[in-house]
Amino acid sequence: MTHTVVKNATCTFCGCVCDDMELHAEGDRIVKTKLACGLGEAWFKNHTAEHLYPDALIDGQPSSVEEAVQAAADYLYEADMPLVYGLSNITCEAQRAAVALAERIGGVVDSHTSL
Amino acid sequence: MNRADFIIYWGGNPADCHPRHFTKYTLTPKGKHVPMGRKGRTMVLVDVRETPSVRAADIFLQVRPGKDFEVITTLRALVKNQPVDQARVAETGLTLAQLQDLVGRMKNARFGVIFFGMGLSMTRGKHMNSAAVLALVAELNAFTKFVCMPMRGHGNVTGADVVMRWTTGFPFGVNLCRGYPRFNPGEFSTVDLLVRGDNDAALILGADPGATMPQPAIDHLARIPTIVLDPKVTRTSRLARVHITTAAMGISAPGTVYRMDEIPLPLRPILQSPYPTDEVVIRRIHEQVKAKPAWLPASFKKVPCA
Repeated sequence: MTHTVVKNATCTFCGCVCDDMELHAEGDRIVKTKLACGLGEAWFKNHTAEHLYPDALIDGQPSSVEEAVQAAADYLYEADMPLVYGLSNITCEAQRAAVALAERIGGVVDSHTSL
Repeated sequence: MNRADFIIYWGGNPADCHPRHFTKYTLTPKGKHVPMGRKGRTMVLVDVRETPSVRAADIFLQVRPGKDFEVITTLRALVKNQPVDQARVAETGLTLAQLQDLVGRMKNARFGVIFFGMGLSMTRGKHMNSAAVLALVAELNAFTKFVCMPMRGHGNVTGADVVMRWTTGFPFGVNLCRGYPRFNPGEFSTVDLLVRGDNDAALILGADPGATMPQPAIDHLARIPTIVLDPKVTRTSRLARVHITTAAMGISAPGTVYRMDEIPLPLRPILQSPYPTDEVVIRRIHEQVKAKPAWLPASFKKVPCA
């Protein structure tokens, strides 16, 4: 099994975004963390690269990403006032794409800040 | 970390919720202008109950629940040497002597910080409490240097503020229905929109409102076509029409994330995900929408040019 080490890794569990972790991974899971707090360690060890979930679901039924993207686009295009919400656990690059999509569909874009 | 010699945590429990905040950022590190580290700093904790964070504090002020706004307003009066009503101070659970001592310490600080948590911004008074803290801190700058910062929960919620600010001019709750951005918290903020039933579709990105929001908001999400992008199948995914699994930020998805003090940091993902990143999926949805004819309201009539 391949053993990989990443130094100065960044933890994105909470708003502290500590960027001094050392991570050790074996295969598709993280096995060891250095300098991470209890919450960060749990965050890293809870996420694996295994294929645990279906690629996509439409009405609860497994489907391809392509079909799901098409269905999502149809729903958002048909809507008069779609909502784009969340954005707190995705990267800035994805957030930027989300704002562009919200502008295209004429929707509201909002994050956890408003809670 | 380099400057603050007086630190207040208000309505938060960093010892449990942001475990490395004290040791990595605020209290223990030796700073450029605070060479003594922890010994050169004073920490005050303001909360409604004793939490594990109390052990790290020099002074603990226990406020009666729901009285934060009254305490902040009293502090603002004391900062300006205005008279205060003793009976009203007593209602807050603190004594006038305690508040006068706190104001004295605030004014004598070389550089002060107030970190405020959800115990302040999500309880009675809500955004009025946050606004009161901002006003207090602004007024303290007549005497010394003082700043404040909200304690952010989710990993990149600060990034969401920053990205929305530079793309639309507003930090959150931005309505683009008319083709230009409008900002009005309470009207265009998610819970209010959903509880009123204003939206007719929802795209949920890396969030689980189905597990956290008030029930009327969840009911509305179940009524309308909801689309979820998340690394896991969440409660919201189960009530949604469409779910797409994506790579987890920082674990298997690369990119940039903002720390709560608005410092952008690069991610160094260690794993290779079998799923696409959020960015890729959002762009693909955008491409599909773009391919459709431009949307015009049903009542739109072309006005002939004279």
